[in-house]
Amino acid sequence: MRIAVVREALATDPSPLETRVAATPDSIKRLKALGFEVSVESGAGQAANFPDSAYIDAGATIATDARSNYADADILLKVRPLRDRSDLGAHEVDLVREGATVLGFFYPGRNTELLERARARKLTVLAMECVPRISRAQKMDALSSQANIAGYRAVLEAANRFGSFFTGQMTAAGKVPPAKVLVIGAGVAGLAALGAAKGLGAIIRSFDTRAAVREQIESMGGEFLEVTFKEDGDGGGGYAKEMSPAFLEAEYALFRQQAKEVDIVITTALIPNKPAPKLWFQDMVELMKPGSVIVDMAAESGGNCDVTVANEVVVHNGVIVLGFTDLAGRLPTTASNLYGQNLVHLLTDMGGAKGWKVDFDDEVVRGATVTHDGAITWPPPAAKPAAAAPVAAKPAAAPAPVAAVAAPEPIKSTGGHGHGKVAREHLGSARTAPLTWVSLAILVVAYLGLSTSGNDASGLHHFAQQLTIFVLSCFVGVQVIWSVTPALHTPLMSVTNAISGIIVVGGMLHMHGDLSHPAPILALLAVLFATINIGGGFLVTRRMLRMFHK
Amino acid sequence: MPTATPMDVFKGLAWVIAGVLFISSLRGLASQETARRGNGYGIVGMVLAILAMLVAGSKDNVVFLIGALAIGAAVGVTMAQRVAMTAMPEMVAILHSFVGLAAVLVGYAAYLAPGHATVDSAERIEIWLDVLIGAITFTGSIVAFLKLRGSLSGKPLLLPGRHLANLLMFGASLAMVVPFATLPGVEALPFLLAMTLLACILGVHLVAAIGGADMPVVVSMLNSYSGWTAAAAGFMLDNNLLIITGALVGSSGAILSTIMCRAMNRSIWSVIFGGFGADAPAGGGNGAKVEGEMTETTIDELTEELRNAKEVIIVPGFGMAAARAQHAVKQLVDLLRKRGVNTRFAIHPVAGRLPGHMNVLLAEASVPYDIVLEMDEINQDFPRTDVVFVVGANDIVNPAAQTDNTSPIYGMPVLEVWKAKRVVVLKRSRGAGYAGVDNPLFVAPSTRMLFKDAKAGMEELVTKISA
Repeated sequence: MRIAVVREALATDPSPLETRVAATPDSIKRLKALGFEVSVESGAGQAANFPDSAYIDAGATIATDARSNYADADILLKVRPLRDRSDLGAHEVDLVREGATVLGFFYPGRNTELLERARARKLTVLAMECVPRISRAQKMDALSSQANIAGYRAVLEAANRFGSFFTGQMTAAGKVPPAKVLVIGAGVAGLAALGAAKGLGAIIRSFDTRAAVREQIESMGGEFLEVTFKEDGDGGGGYAKEMSPAFLEAEYALFRQQAKEVDIVITTALIPNKPAPKLWFQDMVELMKPGSVIVDMAAESGGNCDVTVANEVVVHNGVIVLGFTDLAGRLPTTASNLYGQNLVHLLTDMGGAKGWKVDFDDEVVRGATVTHDGAITWPPPAAKPAAAAPVAAKPAAAPAPVAAVAAPEPIKSTGGHGHGKVAREHLGSARTAPLTWVSLAILVVAYLGLSTSGNDASGLHHFAQQLTIFVLSCFVGVQVIWSVTPALHTPLMSVTNAISGIIVVGGMLHMHGDLSHPAPILALLAVLFATINIGGGFLVTRRMLRMFHK
Repeated sequence: MPTATPMDVFKGLAWVIAGVLFISSLRGLASQETARRGNGYGIVGMVLAILAMLVAGSKDNVVFLIGALAIGAAVGVTMAQRVAMTAMPEMVAILHSFVGLAAVLVGYAAYLAPGHATVDSAERIEIWLDVLIGAITFTGSIVAFLKLRGSLSGKPLLLPGRHLANLLMFGASLAMVVPFATLPGVEALPFLLAMTLLACILGVHLVAAIGGADMPVVVSMLNSYSGWTAAAAGFMLDNNLLIITGALVGSSGAILSTIMCRAMNRSIWSVIFGGFGADAPAGGGNGAKVEGEMTETTIDELTEELRNAKEVIIVPGFGMAAARAQHAVKQLVDLLRKRGVNTRFAIHPVAGRLPGHMNVLLAEASVPYDIVLEMDEINQDFPRTDVVFVVGANDIVNPAAQTDNTSPIYGMPVLEVWKAKRVVVLKRSRGAGYAGVDNPLFVAPSTRMLFKDAKAGMEELVTKISA
């Protein structure tokens, strides 16, 4: 099957230009391994720093005729939704073969006319932003992979405009306080922003209506800001829902208070298929110190801040408000690489070139497919509730490359000393079990001994002596063995094994008498076997111990 | 004591010293620094005890006796020199069987010893106990040996009504103590023989019913039995040295078994009686079905990830032992450490088929022991680890043990590898682990799978990284 990769940006496009590309040399190697033929439009990777030659090295062919590149393809890989190729004088919907498959961002809710045109051309369109946010699909989740990059870049853009250090410093000339960064919305982008800001040395804090992300914020070393009002805003699928008016009032009060303190605000609040919620009002901007920076990551959906203008830098009352919508594209190489991998994973899920199938029983494929076979298949039927179950042990809320921060348990970091205590406690409780055992053994032996020694007083006395020795030895054994390091358990076993060869003494005690009698012969055999044990056990222990070294 | 000759005093003294040496020997095993000295104490103690017997004991058949000692020692030494480190579990198991066999033989010798016409019930009972434990140890160890060698399947043999059968066999051998302890002379012999036979069958059956994953416990338990049998012989022969040594070894084995059971979250009883774990885990289920897909990786990708990592932890399992990959692993670690990657090992207490199995293998490959850490020491380090490389391990890194209370291994302490940024699992096939439990780690988003033989995969990796 043939895959086509095309140029995303045209010289005539309004700024910002799309810098990303849907396949990189890395992802093409993997596509080839899946059995696909790949042809790349000349110059497609230019803006992402992938020259044509790199694609050729990875095994792709370079298409100089852009039109036939579209027409010959079974599958078209895109970043942006299908568009008008003014340089070719046609729309991409019409350039691809009828019935072809298209993978890329599509936004069917916004592009209803385009959706209808794709249906009419009988295209199979998989919209990358529609990939369900379930555990299994995390590796195909392009929204997350791009949001992660955007969050990182948002911090760098803020730092670039900010007039001070992020990290606090004591210099000979005086003290510089650390920057305070507030991130609103701790989804994938928010967490990435927190991580990047922390890395630069800032004091980080974050607000999110979903209580579940508290641990994730704290694990990044951030402070989780709370309002004094209980309401959980988990709207499913990693998004927050809209909150009640009373909650919002409390939230805004918190923001007004924070506005006076913080230097950088990064807002990431999005609600699926709706304009972004306004939550950083003009009066909050005016409360901030001059020179503070706001990065509105929701600018494309209308912005979280009143004064945001998409794709522009606005200075309001001395506060710099950045409304960039191409944050991920500002790291074009990595953004393309990760997006390319998302596509590879989705194509793998669909069976590769050999087992290619648009399988509507596959929840991921079903969710992402918006047109198929001349029909509009969007929105998909509501997902089965069971869908969230697999690997539910993993955090539900973080379909993110930053998922490491969202381990099932908060990292109960106690430093180097904590575990010692735990280990000892464990040991303490473990001690009782073998003692019960040993006591049990003693009781059995004692019972047998006492009941059979009869009235013979000296026999009883003798037995009591032996029992004392036995019991004391057991306790000595218990005490000694507990201190053995687990690394030496195998040598311990072989040395105790050798020592239990002491049974040889028992054999030797019965060696007296004529060899025609069975007893000394049996004893002789016992000596033989026990000595094998002694020799073997000690030597094997020696061999093992000699290997341990620092 | 009727009359104590100077010889008796000499013997007694030698035995006290031997006993102290044995205790020091075990004490020495506590840490790597003193372990070799500990083994030395053990050897000196043993030689002293045998010499004391030779000097002070009966001089009948002394030529044969010395011959037997020489042959036995020669055979033992040869075995110990030839055995491969990977075959250590089998070696230990077969050595246990020798102790059991010797104990049985000593028991018979004591019974048949000339001048035993009169019935001393107490002594008879002690003989009975010695032979019983000895025979169970003997055949049980042989089955364990065969299972560890792979000559017998690791699957537990679960006969219907096996607990009843065990109970009946044990009851029958118990019942035989009555005629055996009361009948005069050789008349009691059939009962002793019948009991020995029953105990032998019991030993086979008990160990056969235990699954391969429980082998570390079985081996340490047989170790314990071999101690108790020596102690029983001590009571029988009125020999304090045997009692002391037997008690030491017995309690040592019992503690090891307990430690192993805890590490696997199994009740000691279910291991002793076998098969319990196989039919009804505490949660009553087989664990939640794991859904999701494994993401495969390549040697190239792994090379890249390891090169870029700062903190790497390698988790070895039985797969490493089975493929004899420890030397390749050591090479990998050397390469990474030379590049400044902090590479360490995390050892689960029941990794492998023997307590401490992995430590011995890594030591054989001359991995320094200060980078080999126990579960408790390293578990809190996983969250700040870049790459965890799991080599042929499965159940010991299964997060279901903490999260899924229907899983058969729920509650077992495990290495929390999933907290690391990246987990790469090197594994022969897609199959479940020894416990037959699905592992959600393999489909976790941060996990990559590498399906290869541990040794071949390692060697390829070493070539790539050194290139």
